[in-house]
Amino acid sequence: MIEPSALAAALTEYLPKQRWYAGSDAPARVVVERLEVLHDEWPALVWAVVAADGVPYQLLLGVRVGDDDPPDFLHGHDDAVLGTVPTHAGPGLTYDGTLDPGLALVLLDCVTKGGEQATLVRPIGAEQSNTSLVFDDRLVLKVFRRLHDGPNPDVEVTTALATGGFPHVAEPAAAWERDGRDLAIVQRYLTGSTDGWSLALASLRDLFATGLSPSESGGDFGGEAWRLGEVTARLHLALANAFGQEHPTPPGWVKGIADAVRAFGAGGGTGTRQGDERIERFVDRMEALQDWGAAIRVHGDFHLGQALRTDTGWYIVDFEGEPSRPLGERRRLSSPLKDVAGMLRSFHYAAEVGRSERDAPGDDALVRLGEAWEQRNRRAFLDGYLATSGIDELLPTDVGGLATVLRSFELEKAVYEVAYETDHRPDWVAIPRGAIDRLLSG
Amino acid sequence: MTLFGADDPRWYERAVFYEVLTRGFFDSNDDGTGDLRGLTARLDYLQWLGIDCIWLLPFYSSPLRDGGYDIADFFTVLPEYGDLADAVELVEEAHRRGLRIIADLVMNHTSDAHPWFQSSRDDPTGPHGDWYVWSDDDQRYPEARVIFVDTEKSNWTWDPTRQQYYWHRFFSHQPDLNFDNPAVQDAMVDVVRFWLDIGLDGFRLDAVPYLFERDGTNGENLPETHDYLRRVRKEVDANYPGRVLLAEANQWPADVVDYFGPSGDECHMCFHFPLMPRMFMAVRREQRYPITEILAQTPEIPDGCQWGIFLRNHDELTLEMVTDEERDYMYAEYAKDPKMRRNVGIGRRLAPLVDNDRRVAELLHAMLFSMPGSPVLYYGDEIGMGDNIYLGDRDGVRTPMQWTPDRNGGFSKADFARLYLPPLMDPVYGFQAVNVEGEQRDPSSMLHWMRRLLEVRRQHPLFGTGSFEVLDAENPSVLAYARQQGDDLVLCVNNLSRFAQPVELSLQRWAGKTPIELLGRVPFPKVGELPYFVTLGPYAFYWFQLVDP
Repeated sequence: MIEPSALAAALTEYLPKQRWYAGSDAPARVVVERLEVLHDEWPALVWAVVAADGVPYQLLLGVRVGDDDPPDFLHGHDDAVLGTVPTHAGPGLTYDGTLDPGLALVLLDCVTKGGEQATLVRPIGAEQSNTSLVFDDRLVLKVFRRLHDGPNPDVEVTTALATGGFPHVAEPAAAWERDGRDLAIVQRYLTGSTDGWSLALASLRDLFATGLSPSESGGDFGGEAWRLGEVTARLHLALANAFGQEHPTPPGWVKGIADAVRAFGAGGGTGTRQGDERIERFVDRMEALQDWGAAIRVHGDFHLGQALRTDTGWYIVDFEGEPSRPLGERRRLSSPLKDVAGMLRSFHYAAEVGRSERDAPGDDALVRLGEAWEQRNRRAFLDGYLATSGIDELLPTDVGGLATVLRSFELEKAVYEVAYETDHRPDWVAIPRGAIDRLLSG
Repeated sequence: MTLFGADDPRWYERAVFYEVLTRGFFDSNDDGTGDLRGLTARLDYLQWLGIDCIWLLPFYSSPLRDGGYDIADFFTVLPEYGDLADAVELVEEAHRRGLRIIADLVMNHTSDAHPWFQSSRDDPTGPHGDWYVWSDDDQRYPEARVIFVDTEKSNWTWDPTRQQYYWHRFFSHQPDLNFDNPAVQDAMVDVVRFWLDIGLDGFRLDAVPYLFERDGTNGENLPETHDYLRRVRKEVDANYPGRVLLAEANQWPADVVDYFGPSGDECHMCFHFPLMPRMFMAVRREQRYPITEILAQTPEIPDGCQWGIFLRNHDELTLEMVTDEERDYMYAEYAKDPKMRRNVGIGRRLAPLVDNDRRVAELLHAMLFSMPGSPVLYYGDEIGMGDNIYLGDRDGVRTPMQWTPDRNGGFSKADFARLYLPPLMDPVYGFQAVNVEGEQRDPSSMLHWMRRLLEVRRQHPLFGTGSFEVLDAENPSVLAYARQQGDDLVLCVNNLSRFAQPVELSLQRWAGKTPIELLGRVPFPKVGELPYFVTLGPYAFYWFQLVDP
């Protein structure tokens, strides 16, 4: 139907315009590895795997022949059009097929092997690394764009949790796999949900408007944070149950954190000689522990945006881990406190972002309110987490040890954030830098 | 004027109720206390406002130690309120204006001043000897909790005359009737018949879960109680079609549904208690989950049944039955929230509860009028009346209705000192600032707004009987839902936040329809395939009728 070579030529320009494309520049070389027609009528649906400078991506292309005008759904989506590609039936307009409602329904049928049908479909906007479609407000289909050899952790973990009866994940309805690669997953759509980040910001806006203490203000988030902590602990118990636990001494992450933090110091990250000394003291304390708690499969990229509030409580989504890290690293066992630290960092970000929305620079009262909000919700989250029965078996027995491990992961995360913000959002780099300073002073 | 729903025995499913305290509404004879003739004199106002059914608090003979819920004679009117002829006139005049009228009825107990109880204590072997629950000791039914823990130590109280203990689930001056005695069962049916013969359109049944006692049970929701309610319902259906039974069972919705009966053969209506505090919590938290959670936990009810929903009533905001549910997060949220905690157990009116923010009061009413159930208004809330918490916990919200800026708020021409309670006179909520006359003259008043909203509600029966579906919205501060009945389709969008909010609604299935905002009949842009974008001002709401072009 389409010649791979014709496609490859168009892709050099197309790929860099896609949000999910990880490279920063246009690829030097694009190879069409696989090409298959999923739907052999016009408009056609074509599945392709292309390697851009060796990195494999999944494409689902719509191809239309003989239409004079581009279809309505492409209106405002110029970046989703590859252009006109020769086909056996003449020139075919080729575009991102997930935007085509008719082809999206075909795709659902394909992925679920006829198990699920729907009548309405809409895309979920604002996604970075994947493409998601909602069918009838009932099912969500997530198409993985960047492909990895071996199991996709999102499919692997979500399926294992649901099979084990953990109620706070969206149950999978189908998974799509070819050539040993996970390509897509269909899950129950969590209707009526909003993510924790939106809820936290709603709380903070109310806080800054009233000027009351976080516990007195109407938009208090403490109850939500407590319940989120409880669900997080249950998640960890379920993960330990599904994937097992180990008690390495010392666990591998100790060296990983020590290296990352030292590299940060060596690169002048703290900006002071004193900072370097504090880093050494910190690493010494972490390495001197006798009991680091259990290592389990973890979420790996846990923050407020990965928790959805529904009418039946919090749900946890997106178990892919940090997409920029290699797959092996993302599937490696780690301390459950890595996730706890991720969420605590997220509370810090929320407070800072909420404050910056209405900052009058140097308004000390707002700074104090934001800090009080962060402290209250950190405490509530940890209280909910630690109050969950059974969780202590996964954690260091000693309270001081627990605090040290938790702080280690917060520091690791903040160091990662500094690098990320420096590259992507330089205005925000002060947020993790402030956290590092705080963590090293403690 | 025909009676509201004259040809529809299921009128209560789409009616708006209005709760009136006879004592507090209007004083026709200048003795300082409102009365039935006073209420009759103000029926024109209620008709103008646009409510459908009046709910009268108890007006029976009573020593008034529990606001008239301590009835001393079921067949006579409290003399301060008038007499039977006044009651008959009230019912006839209400019906003449198309208004229905239901009244409180307490079946579980009487006042200790009731002749039945006097006879029972004086003569254990006499005609009423077995009409109450007597015992030689106070040890029976230990599983039954004490409801009024602040005033009562036990459900048993010693009677020195009969030299026995008597059973009471509420105050010790309110002995429980012995429903195991068929004569008591018959007598209560006689009471029901008496008032339905006079023309009442039904009853709000007070404290229904407690009619029977059984060893080894907590004495609540017993099968015998349901059997008896079915008997009363049969009587109503057979002889008084179109009259309604509205149960007060302050319990979790999943348990309250039992009072509809498995096939809808007990009460026509039950109050939905947990919804009310959650509506307040949702506005306070600026997010919808307190509301959507409880709606998700509310079971379907049998055909012909309806929830009674309300924002305020004559009692305090109560969490009594809501608290010990593990699945409920409400108690934890309340217990942690100083402002909400202060309001528990204290009678507050709507306006002071929302800091007199009219936008919030309007939003709450807009939600009340559009959620599944028949709304019940509390007298005075339509003009934004305040309260007087220094009068004690229940009297604070029972001050005189404020009609005019004149003496005693136009409620009574009696000397001020003779009034049953002082009217509000503070500069914010006092009758000089807040009264019916002033608001009737002011086209932008709360009262006119309420009347308009009621008018719109009446034009769309779907608000009472249509389907209800919460719509997906990424913005947690926005609560959107669709009501539909046949071809009529209304989309309600509420902003629970103090700030302006945007929302994108997925309305694909209604693509091609045009939303018409119902208060102003202004057409909005047509629904397309893309998410429908709506912006809402602080605490704003829209009711959109979706119509075909």
